[in-house]
Amino acid sequence: MRETTTPEHTALEDGAQPSVVSVGGLPYQPPHAAETAPTVLRLENVCVTYGGRPAVQNVAMDIYKNRITALIGPSGCGKSSLLRCMNRMNDLIHSARVTGNVYLDGVDINSDAVDPVQVRRHVGMVFQKPNPFPMSVMENVAFGPKRQGMSGRGRLNEIVEKALRSAALWDEVADKMDQPGTALSGGQQQRLCIARVLAVRPEIILMDEPCSSLDPVATLKIEDLMRELARDYTIVIVTHNMQQAARVSDYTAFMLASEHGVNGRLIEYGATNEIFTNPRDKRTEDYITGRFG
Amino acid sequence: MTRTAFERQLLAVQEDMLVMAGMVETAIERGIEALKTRNVNLAHQIIEDDLKINRKRYETEDKCLELIATQQPLASDLRTIVSVLHITVDLERMGDHAEGIAKIALMLADEPPLKPYIDIPRMAQVASEMLMGSLEAFKDRDPARARAICDQDDEVDALYEQVYRELLTFMINDPRTIQRATYLIWTAHNLERIADRVTNICERVIYLVEGRIEELNVSKY
Repeated sequence: MRETTTPEHTALEDGAQPSVVSVGGLPYQPPHAAETAPTVLRLENVCVTYGGRPAVQNVAMDIYKNRITALIGPSGCGKSSLLRCMNRMNDLIHSARVTGNVYLDGVDINSDAVDPVQVRRHVGMVFQKPNPFPMSVMENVAFGPKRQGMSGRGRLNEIVEKALRSAALWDEVADKMDQPGTALSGGQQQRLCIARVLAVRPEIILMDEPCSSLDPVATLKIEDLMRELARDYTIVIVTHNMQQAARVSDYTAFMLASEHGVNGRLIEYGATNEIFTNPRDKRTEDYITGRFG
Repeated sequence: MTRTAFERQLLAVQEDMLVMAGMVETAIERGIEALKTRNVNLAHQIIEDDLKINRKRYETEDKCLELIATQQPLASDLRTIVSVLHITVDLERMGDHAEGIAKIALMLADEPPLKPYIDIPRMAQVASEMLMGSLEAFKDRDPARARAICDQDDEVDALYEQVYRELLTFMINDPRTIQRATYLIWTAHNLERIADRVTNICERVIYLVEGRIEELNVSKY
C-alpha cells in the first residue's frame, strides 16, 4: 500500500514496545509486558457509531505480529464492529461512522489518502458463514491474485496450490479443482475461504466467528490451522466460544455492552492464560465464569 | 445468566473438603488421646477411620474432575477446583500422619511411660488450630489470615526441636529408652509434618484469591 504516514505518527520499529496511553479515561496497558513481537496494528481512540448510536467506544489496543488475538464479549458488545475497523469493512455499512486511528505498520488506514481495497489486501477477512464464490475451487482461490493482475496458468496454479496447502485443504481437493466450491462440506468451504484470503498474501487475517456454523471436528481443524497460520500471519478472531478463545489465542480482549447504557467498551485486554485463569476486572471474571452475559 | 446447578456442585466439593478436614482434625486429636491414655481400641478406630478419609479424598477428586470435564470452569471457579484438588491431597496425607501416631500409640501401649506428655499434645493442639484456621481462611477467602496462620508453624517447629533435644537427652542418659524415645520423636515428626501441610493449604488460599503462588513455608536450612 502507499505510504501515507501521518506526520504525528511514524512506523513502529521492529520490537518497539507500545507506549502507555490513556484514551477516553480507560488506562491502556500493554497486554503482556514480556511480549517481544512487534506491533502490526495499533488502534487509538477508535469509535464506531451506527446512525449516531455508539457501538464501539474509545478502544485503544495493539495487535502483535504472528500472534492470535481473540475478541470476546456478549452479543452486541461491538466486537465484530471493532474487527471491521481493522480493514475498513465498516466503510461498506452505510450508517456506520468510524473515528480514531488504526495504524497498520504505522500508516493510518482511516486516512482519506488510503485505498480501502489495498487495506483489505493487507488485512484479509474470513466470515461467520463460509461464502465461496459460485465458481470452481481453482477459480475461488485464483480470484484474488487474478484481480491483482497476476496471470499465467503455471504461476496461478502454483499460488493456488500453495494457498490450499497452507489452508490444510490441498489433500482433500487436489482432484476436485474444477468442481464448484459450494459442493464442498461446510468445514472445507471455510478452509477454501481461508485459502482464498491466503492467496493474496495478507499480513493480517481477521476471522469473524469462523467456526460458528461448523461441527466440532471441522472446528478443531480450523483451530489447528489457525495455530499453523500464526507462524506466518497475524490473526484476530471474534468468537462467542470462550473455550475456543482459550484454546487458540495468545491474547484476549474482553468487550462489554450496556455499561452505563453505552456499548462497545474494551474492559480488559491481556495474555489469554491470564484472562482465563486470573482476570483483573470483576466484569471479565463474571462474564467468563458465566455469571452474566 | 446464572449457573445455579454448577454453583451448587462447586459449593458441594468445597463442603466435602471441609468435612474431610473435620475428619482429619478428629484423627489428630484422637491420636494424641490414644497415645496419652494407652487406648488400644481408640488407636484401632483411628486406623480404620483413615480409610474413610482416603475414600473422601477420591470422592471429592471425582467430583472435581467431573466439574472440569462438564462445566469448563474458568478464572476463580477453576482456581477453586484446583485448590480443592490440592488441599484434599494434603488433608489425606495429614490423615496418614494421624494414623502414624495411632500406630505408635499401639506400639507404646504396653511400654512404661517415658515422661509426662506436655509438648507433644501442645504441638497437636497448635497444628489442629492451624488446620481449622486455614480452612476458615479458605471459606472466607482471606489471604491475610492464611499468611498469619503460617507464622504459627514456627511455634510447632520450635516445639519439635525442643521435644527432639529432650528425647535425645533421655537416650544418651539411658540407652534402654532408645526405642520409646524414637517412637515419640516419630510422633512429634508426624505433627511437625501436619503443620507443614497446613502451610500448603494457606498457599492455596492465596492462590485462590490472588491468582498466584506464594511460597509461605520457606525452609530455614
